[in-house]
This record gives sequence, C-alpha cells and structure tokens, in this order.
Amino acid sequence: MGGSIRTLSAAGLLLSLSACDMTVTGAGSASEAARGDGTGTVPLAEYPERVFWGDTHLHTDNSIDAFGFGVRLGPEQALRFARGEKITATTGVPAQLDRPLDFLLIADHSDGLGSTRRLYDAPRLLIRDATLRRWHDMMHEGPRQSQRAIAELITAASNGELPEAMRDPENQAKATEEIWTRHLDTIDRFNEPGKFTALAGFEYTLMPDGNNLHRVVMFRDGSARTKQVRPYPGLSGGVDGLWDYMAAYEKKTGGRALAIPHNSNVSNGLMFELTMPGGGPMTAEYARKRARWEPVVEVTQIKGDSEAHRLLSPNDEFASYGVAGWELGNLPLTRRATPDMFGGNYVREALKRGLTIEAQTGANPYRFGLIGSTDSHTALATGDEDNFYGKHTGNEPRAGRAAEAQNLGTREGRFGWQYLASGYAGVWARANTRAEIFDAMMRREVYATTGPRMTVRMFGGFDFSEEDFDARGWVANGYRRGVPMGGELVDEGKPPVFMIEALKDPKGANLDRVQVVKGWIDASGTTQEKVFEVAWSDPATRRLAGGRVPPVGDTVDRAKATYTNTIGVRQLRVRWTDPEYRAGQNAFYYVRVIEIPTPRWVLFDALRYKLTLPKEIMNNSVSQERAYSSPIWLVGKNRT
Amino acid sequence: MKFDWKRWAREPLVHFLLAGAAIFVVLGWQGAADDPSSRTISLTREDQARLASGFADVMGRPPTDAELDGVIANWVREEVLYREALKLGLDDGDAVIRKRLAQKMDTLAASAADAESPDDAALQKWLQDHPERFAQDMTLTFEHIYFTDRSRAVVGKTLLGGGADWTRVGDPVSLPANFRTASQAVVAGEFGDDFARAIGRVPVGPQWQGPVESALGWHLVRLTAREAGTLPPLAAIRNRVEGDWRAETARSRTDAAYKVLRDAYTVKVAR
Repeated sequence: MGGSIRTLSAAGLLLSLSACDMTVTGAGSASEAARGDGTGTVPLAEYPERVFWGDTHLHTDNSIDAFGFGVRLGPEQALRFARGEKITATTGVPAQLDRPLDFLLIADHSDGLGSTRRLYDAPRLLIRDATLRRWHDMMHEGPRQSQRAIAELITAASNGELPEAMRDPENQAKATEEIWTRHLDTIDRFNEPGKFTALAGFEYTLMPDGNNLHRVVMFRDGSARTKQVRPYPGLSGGVDGLWDYMAAYEKKTGGRALAIPHNSNVSNGLMFELTMPGGGPMTAEYARKRARWEPVVEVTQIKGDSEAHRLLSPNDEFASYGVAGWELGNLPLTRRATPDMFGGNYVREALKRGLTIEAQTGANPYRFGLIGSTDSHTALATGDEDNFYGKHTGNEPRAGRAAEAQNLGTREGRFGWQYLASGYAGVWARANTRAEIFDAMMRREVYATTGPRMTVRMFGGFDFSEEDFDARGWVANGYRRGVPMGGELVDEGKPPVFMIEALKDPKGANLDRVQVVKGWIDASGTTQEKVFEVAWSDPATRRLAGGRVPPVGDTVDRAKATYTNTIGVRQLRVRWTDPEYRAGQNAFYYVRVIEIPTPRWVLFDALRYKLTLPKEIMNNSVSQERAYSSPIWLVGKNRT
Repeated sequence: MKFDWKRWAREPLVHFLLAGAAIFVVLGWQGAADDPSSRTISLTREDQARLASGFADVMGRPPTDAELDGVIANWVREEVLYREALKLGLDDGDAVIRKRLAQKMDTLAASAADAESPDDAALQKWLQDHPERFAQDMTLTFEHIYFTDRSRAVVGKTLLGGGADWTRVGDPVSLPANFRTASQAVVAGEFGDDFARAIGRVPVGPQWQGPVESALGWHLVRLTAREAGTLPPLAAIRNRVEGDWRAETARSRTDAAYKVLRDAYTVKVAR
C-alpha cells in the first residue's frame, strides 16, 4: 500500500515536468489580424447597421474570488462558451448559450490575479501566513468551505486586511506578468475580426470600507500593446491612480483604454458623489477626467440593477427593478445603507447630478452611456432566465440555490433569488472588431438590457419630420440629420425631437411599452425627472390616463414557467417631441423599453427540480425585463 | 511492415510503461531514501533548491537562510509524519487522497496530448473526419421589405408586380434592408429561427418571394445568392482544429488509459 503511494507521488513529479513543456510547445499562435485591433481586416458599414451583443464583465479561474468560489474553468473555456460551443460547467452540468455572443471581455480581478489558484496549488508547508494556510486548507476541504474561505477573503479585502503576501503588488508582479501574458495570447487566438471579438481588460477592485467602487478596464488594442503593461491593482489608492495608469498606457503604447464603473448600487453613495472623493466641491478638472476615462456605466448585472430606486423616483412605477437585497448596504454588508446614500447609488440620479455639477463647474463628470453585463464568476456569460448559471460556482444550477442565504461577505441579509439573470451590452458598431466595439463605447452608442436581445434605436434632432421617420431608410435619416444614442444636441431654442424604435428579441417576449426618461434642471436650479409614456401595445384599449398607461397583463403560467406572446407587440416606434421643453434648460433623455411579464430563473429552477418555492420567492418570480438606452443630452450653446 | 513509431508513441499503454520506467529510474537514482519503511531522510542540494524556489513562488522573494531552515524543518516534519501515516495505513479510505490521486492519473494520461504538436497531416485528417464541427454556416445574400402584417405584405407584392420602386414599398423598420453573405446564424439572430430556415428554401432569383413571417413581422424577400456551408481550408482555422484535436485527444487517452488499467481488474458488485 505505502509503496503504491510513493510511486504515484513520483508520477506527480513527472506530471509537473510535462506541464512545463506544454507552455513551450503547445501554444498555437494567432494570426496577425487576430492579434491587432481589427482595423482594416473587415469591411465597415457606412453607419452602424447591426447591434452586437456581448458581456464586458466575466470572471474565470484567474480571479481571486471566482477560483475560491470553486470555478475551475479558465479563459479558454469562457471564450468557447461565449462563442456558442457546448462545454461542461465546473459542477459537471453541460452548458451552452441559446445564441452565441458577438464579443467578450474577460475581466478578472487585477488584485491577486491567479493568486487563489496559486494558494490552492501551493504545498501547504510553504505557506507561512496562518490566515493563508487556513484558507488553503478550507479550499481543499470542499466547495462549501472553499466558498466560506472566499467570503472571508472578500471581507478581509474590503477591510484592507488581506495578508501581506497577497496584497503587495511587488510580490505579485512576477506571477501576474506570467498569467497576463498567457491570457493575452489566449484571447488573440479566439479573436476573429468580423465574427467574434475577444477584448483585453481586467477588473479594478477599489473598495474602501467595503463600498463598491469597482471598474472594468477595457483596452482597444491587441497584445503587442497590452503586453507592455500589467493590470492595475485596486486595493490601494484612489480612482485617479487608475486614470493616470490609463493615460500612461495610452502615452506609452499609442493604444486606447476606457473604464466602466459597476455596482454603484452597493457603493453606499460613493460611486456618483456630488463632491470630490473624500469631500470638498468637485473640481472641473476632476469632472473632465472622469468623463474622459469613464464613458459608460454598467447599469444592470447579476448583483442587481442600478437604474432607479423608488425612494428617489416615487412617480416611476417601474423603478426599483432588481434592488431587493442589494439596497440594504455595501458589498459585504459591513455597513447598512441609509436613504441619503441612494443618490450616489443609482444611475438616473447620477445623470441628474451630472447636470448640477456641470452648472457649477462647466464640466459634467457623469456624461455616460449605459450597458449591461453579467459579472458572472462561473466563466459562463449567461444572462438568460431559462439558462442561468448563477453568480458563482456555489450557485450553479442546483435545487437549493434560490432560497439559500448568498452572502458575498460574511454577514447575513441577501438570498439566492435576489440575483438577476442579467445582463448584456448592445453595441451599435460598423463591424465586429476590437476597434469598432471600443469606439462605439467611447461615443456611448450602446445600451443595456437585463438579458433579452431587443433592438433599440434612438435618434435626437430638431428637424425630424414625419416623412423622415416613416421612410423605409429612416435610420439613415437619423444619422444624417441628428445624433444617435449617446450623442449631444446643442440647444437651438426649439424642442428636441426623437425618433425611437424598439423591436422585440426575435427569440423572446413581446414588448409592453417604450418610455422616455427625462432629467433636467429647472429655473430654480433644482434637478427634476419625469417618465413619459411614448409608445405601447394596444393603444386603442389601453388609454393613457393621468400620464399612465394601464398594465399590459400577465400570461405567465407559474407552474410551467411559460408565457405567451398573445399580449404586447413586436415593434414599437414613435417620433416624439418633448412637450415640456424650456429654452436654456439642460436636460438628458434616455429610452426605457419594457417587455411583457416573463418567468424569472427561479420558476425554471422550481420546474427543473420540482420545488415548492416559499411565498417571498413566488412574489418575485415574474418580472418585466427591460432595456435602457444611453442618454442624449441637450446642452446650452455657451457651455465650455 | 514499417515500424510506425509515431502511432506507437501515441498509445496510452506505452505512456504508462514509459512513466513506470522513468519512475524506476528516478527511484534508482535517488536510492531508497524516501522509502516509507526507511528510517533515513536525506535532502539533496537539489531538493533544497526546489523548496527555496517553491517558497519564492508563493512569497515573491527567495527565503532568508533562517526561513529556508524553517522550510526544511517543516518539510522533514511532514515527511516523518507522512511516512508514519502510511505505515499506519491512514491513507486508506481517505476520500480526498483517493480523489486527488485518481485525478493525477487522469491528468498524467492526458498530459502528453497537451505537450504534443500535431503536424498538418494529422490536423487535416482531423478536419476531414469531423466536418460538422468546422463547417461554416450557409450564407445568404438578400434584400427584404418589412410589413407589420400579412395583408399589407400581400398588397405590397402586388404593387411590386406592377413595377413599383422596391425602396418605396413596405413599412419602416430599423432592420437593415440588405444582407450580404450573412450566415444563417446571423439571420436567425436578427429575424428568428423560423425565418432563417424558411429563407434557406426560398428560390434564388430576381423575383420577390413571400410573404415570409419572421419573429418581427412579415417580409418580401429577394434572394440573390445562397452558398451552402463549406469546410474552410486547414490554414484558415488551424488554431481551432488544433484546440479541438487537443481536447478530444486528451479525453480519449484518459478513457483508453483507464480501460487498460480497468481490464486488469475483476470487479464484483453485490446485487
């Protein structure tokens, strides 16, 4: 018996030798086109004709927490899955997307990149630090213990108490360089201009006191440029350090970078402050820098939706979508949220604050577009309700996952059902390449959905006529005589006109309604908001009353997790002029498209595992999924 | 018959024999020092260097002399307890050890596939043996006119038959009117599966066909080209073929290696 153990240990030694060989001989190399930013590799449309779908926020086993949560799938499997192949999830369940994505950004945490994996693989006796040794043991004990270890790790990170060996960027540098270089080679191999775009980037995990100030950093470039830098760590310093890093990257390599804030909903008011971080009036310089580096915000994802909260928007009956649980406090729930924090947590309020700061300083820090993404830690970019693989490996499809407490920190308070099967980024680009996707993000010609792939078009101008809008080629008119979503209109002293169209997801539910959300500064200098109902199904029977449209109805069969497209409509379109326009009042306008009610993932779980869901979950088992366009801003002539 | 050493080199059984031989050599070279029944523990310079480099991998810097002494003392402690544990048979029935070692065996069997660089001929054969995995979708080049309902589409078709300008017939929609060599998957993404299937059967020619229903409405369609899915040349998709070959080969070697070992056992399961 003892002899056989010895033999196998020696076999393990051989194994590690052959693993070394692999990195030398086994790495296939990508074509030159795949290694670059895609410029000149495929024909470009005259203007964006197609919306490209993707996820800019996916974690794999290189992320410190994802590995600890149990994921054993790396970037390669993540890319295969995103482009439509069938793979096996960590928990052994086969997984495949109903429809492939057009692009993917694997955004593993820059802090401790690959370090939990190394901690897991490290010989136990070499781990000096008692805490690290305990986490090592817990990770080896099994999935449950592993998840507890990572919950401790997240709390330690948010309290600034990570063990020195894990925290110090110098100590991590060599390992990070190795993983980063290998990762960039991998994504180049999968990057196929015109077919599938694999973008380089990482997640910057700034989290003072557990308040979430995370950003995803996206690069426009291929590996020749991105290999010249390392992912920037987030656990120390402030966000201007990140912007300086991005500026240095652009200067050094001639490339481009942008950052995407996310989960403002668990920032306890810090993501969209009216003041400088740490207090004091916001300077124009800071506001300009922020707008320069952060052109889009991820408004919806698995850890909740950050569009609007009912406390801030009491007249919006569709506000507070996906806020249950997440509204309670910061990420690890070490600090409860108070209502005064909500203004800095939700995107609509941030857009309004941007107008206020612009009035004071001449620069709008919050002139951003909107996207959705998953933030999945399973290496599986799933945003569909009937195909949801959970936040992390601990809640991949499994009978108990909806009802269990799902703490990302160590405290109680949040539950599995509060995770959303959300979302994706829709990008209006001229072709599917790194450069075109990135440039669309920079000009904010993008939108967010909570998962369904509805088409949303919005153009703003002053001279759109009925003829412009009713023409077969109306989209071309929109580009020719106005600006698309994400654009700016300079006030001409007459009301802005918008041409808007929404098409249902060709494989999904019908549409209930299209709304325009307007925010502005009134004559007294106070910000205001209003939701306008602009187009809806069955207008003959659903009459507008008091500014509201009656509910569309509900066809969801709770027992079978089905719905029918017998209500709602496939296409909604409207040419809309702001009836409350006042000359000289700066404003923003964005479109919200609402689907008919459909089953949430918890109902599909109940069906699959033959569960009887508790009342609280049943009350949250149906939702109206939605899309948020990037805003169009109306700005004064004399703006600086 | 010529001796096909390449094929021979791919046999899992051969890998196991080679691994066994290598183990024998390694153990012979090391002497019997780490035999659990031995009461001598010796640590060569190379062993110490390995411990030091392991320390550096975790901590990001080489150990100080004192730290290395500590690492060695820990290693010796673990080795002593490890040998005693084996003598007591504590490894027996430990689920973690059992699973971990089984995994190592699988990885050992698959690892050669990771290290190998298949030549073009092998990949060409792989491509031809599995065309369904690499074939590109059917591509379609067409124009379409959108209508919100069927009756409007029928009227539209009559107008076109009377010589109306096609760019002026139909209802407005944000879909592009022209698709050039779009794959069937792209068409399905824009219009839904039923439309993508239906357009695969529409005759190619200058006539407007339909109306065809999509997930979004009704369409008259003029199909100017349809190309059946083709198998791209190896050069165009070499990485993809190699990746597929590697994954599949690793899996089949693991299975084959298990079979070789499994065949040597008799398993009796009480029913």
